[in-house]
Amino acid sequence: MLPRGSIGAAHIWKRFRADPTRNYLRDQLARWRDLVRGNGHRGWRWALRDVSLTVEPGGAVGIVGTNGSGKSTFLKILNRVMYPYAGRLEVSGRVAALIEIGAGLHPELTGGENIYLTGSLLGLRRQEIAARFDEIVAFAELDPAIERQVKFYSSGMKMRLGFAVAASLQPDILLVDEVLAVGDAAFQQKSFNRMRAMLSEGVTLVFVSHDLASVEATCTHGIWLENGVVAAGGAVDEVLAAYRRSIEETAHAYVGTGGVLRVARVAVGSDHGTAASHEELRVATVIESPHALTSVFYLGVSEGPATPIFVLQRDLHLTAGATEVRCLIRRLPLPRGRFYLWLGIFDKAGHDLLPWHPVTHFDVAGPDLDRPPRGVVRLAPVHVEAAWEVDAE
Amino acid sequence: MDHLTAVPAQPPVHLRYHRRLHLGEAIRELWTARELIRTLVERELRARYKQAVLGTAWTIIPPLTLMLVFTFFLHRGGRIDTGGIPYPLFAYVGLLPWTFFSASVSRGGQSLLQNAALLNKVYCPREVYPISSIVIAGVDTLVALPILAIMFAIFRTAPQPSTLLALPLLAVQLAFTFGVTLIVSSVSVYLRDLRHALPILLQLGLFATPVAYGSEVVPAALRLPYAFINPLAPVIDGYRRVVLLGQPPAWDAVLAGTLSSLLLLALGSILFKRLETGFADVA
Repeated sequence: MLPRGSIGAAHIWKRFRADPTRNYLRDQLARWRDLVRGNGHRGWRWALRDVSLTVEPGGAVGIVGTNGSGKSTFLKILNRVMYPYAGRLEVSGRVAALIEIGAGLHPELTGGENIYLTGSLLGLRRQEIAARFDEIVAFAELDPAIERQVKFYSSGMKMRLGFAVAASLQPDILLVDEVLAVGDAAFQQKSFNRMRAMLSEGVTLVFVSHDLASVEATCTHGIWLENGVVAAGGAVDEVLAAYRRSIEETAHAYVGTGGVLRVARVAVGSDHGTAASHEELRVATVIESPHALTSVFYLGVSEGPATPIFVLQRDLHLTAGATEVRCLIRRLPLPRGRFYLWLGIFDKAGHDLLPWHPVTHFDVAGPDLDRPPRGVVRLAPVHVEAAWEVDAE
Repeated sequence: MDHLTAVPAQPPVHLRYHRRLHLGEAIRELWTARELIRTLVERELRARYKQAVLGTAWTIIPPLTLMLVFTFFLHRGGRIDTGGIPYPLFAYVGLLPWTFFSASVSRGGQSLLQNAALLNKVYCPREVYPISSIVIAGVDTLVALPILAIMFAIFRTAPQPSTLLALPLLAVQLAFTFGVTLIVSSVSVYLRDLRHALPILLQLGLFATPVAYGSEVVPAALRLPYAFINPLAPVIDGYRRVVLLGQPPAWDAVLAGTLSSLLLLALGSILFKRLETGFADVA
């Protein structure tokens, strides 16, 4: 037996049917017929292959990967909702999954009745729910609506209700699958805070997210799944760095699709060669156009796949043939690291002339970012110079 | 990245995941989930009575209607031998267990599919869904029970003292109902069109079971095999004997029914546990 709050998953394999998974008599008969005739089954699709993960009590692991890479399947297996095909699995202690539990809500019942329903589904005892009832209502911000039937709730209210019940669990292990994208910004912040509080109480965390910054800020370890296989595992910053590199490589493959314009050349740098924090940065691009055009030119910088850190824009008259566009950023507000340059050109009606896409990456030299205290806060993507004065009064 | 190439195409055989199943553990887990079952039952009942204007009436109407239909169409002119019992009473005593069985199977059979959204989100013993359907059918039966008391008053009779013997019959009935519901619910996940066949099968079952008529229509030589195949037959016959006639049940037939009910329950449990591992994959 592993100590409470630990996860030991070794060589986990999971497969699904490769054929369209309809489950009607006709389909089953066809399968059986194939089996009897010795044609074998119509094949399986591996969702996870040889995935291992060990987490000690209080550890925090982030799982990243593109859509369909097996992240959610793996989380379902850890949650014991799905069974692996092969492998050894031990999950010890009370597990809570912060998932979109809106599915369990019954539209005809009131919010209050649904709190009991959802709580029981998540394994809470009635007494426990009764004891936390007010807290849950307050957290979900549903105070006046709690006597109302859930069918009159907005989708945001339903999500808040489900999430608030899940958040009131006191688990040893917390599984989080992208739910923090729920609700408005204020509620998201509240959910982050709740997760942070649970973490500081020593809960083990497995966190699946596309938001790499919050994974980096929350987790100490990470695994990157690619087509069901662990492509990288270990310290979170190394894993994320590898993942970002791969994202950027695939993004390059998309360049040149759609639009009438073409990027002939891109150069990013400074007069001294590489870019540096709070130094000048020069971006030079050459755009080729088949005819003269009036357009709007957008230039952005991001950390990997995430949303841009900043975007610059100006009107641009393109002549037939090549046009060079040079941009000077006087003091680059970026910390040390690798960043991606995005370009997009649109006509006045907003149609793509050149789709918004990453064109190149560049490295910035400079001071390391100060890590924020452990917890669920975004790593600051900008570097700000400041002068400090501390005086005793 | 060398790890990528190191992953074999198939997992080695010794790694195959085998779920260890212990009967005791499964039962203990179900016991801890009893509050969940209660909540699921409450959810159904509350929701139902919020929607329906007639409320409880809807649970009484099905057996009552069938009783009236049988009385006026099947029994016309005393065609059915009831052993001296007023026919409506005779039919209603048979209809109560049948309605319980039929409601359990049709509602419980769909319970997993209806809760498919929960199956791959929330961990709980999967049996809670069919079980809560059976409990709801049980509550409905209890609600329909007072009608029986009214009928006793109308026909100026009373239940016989031997009614206590109904308890072991009830146990057999529950075992059989649970077994069938487990099978139908788990198979329905993989054979979704069973939903369309089920009402027809239940309709046939109603006439293959001595609900509208007595057990005497079955030839004496076939009575035991019949009881084995359809355990509801000796159970319903037993209810009539102990409640209405003051006789003991036909124990040999009840024993045959008990045997097959337990077999079916064991089979249903094993099948359910087997198929359970795939519910979340296909739901």
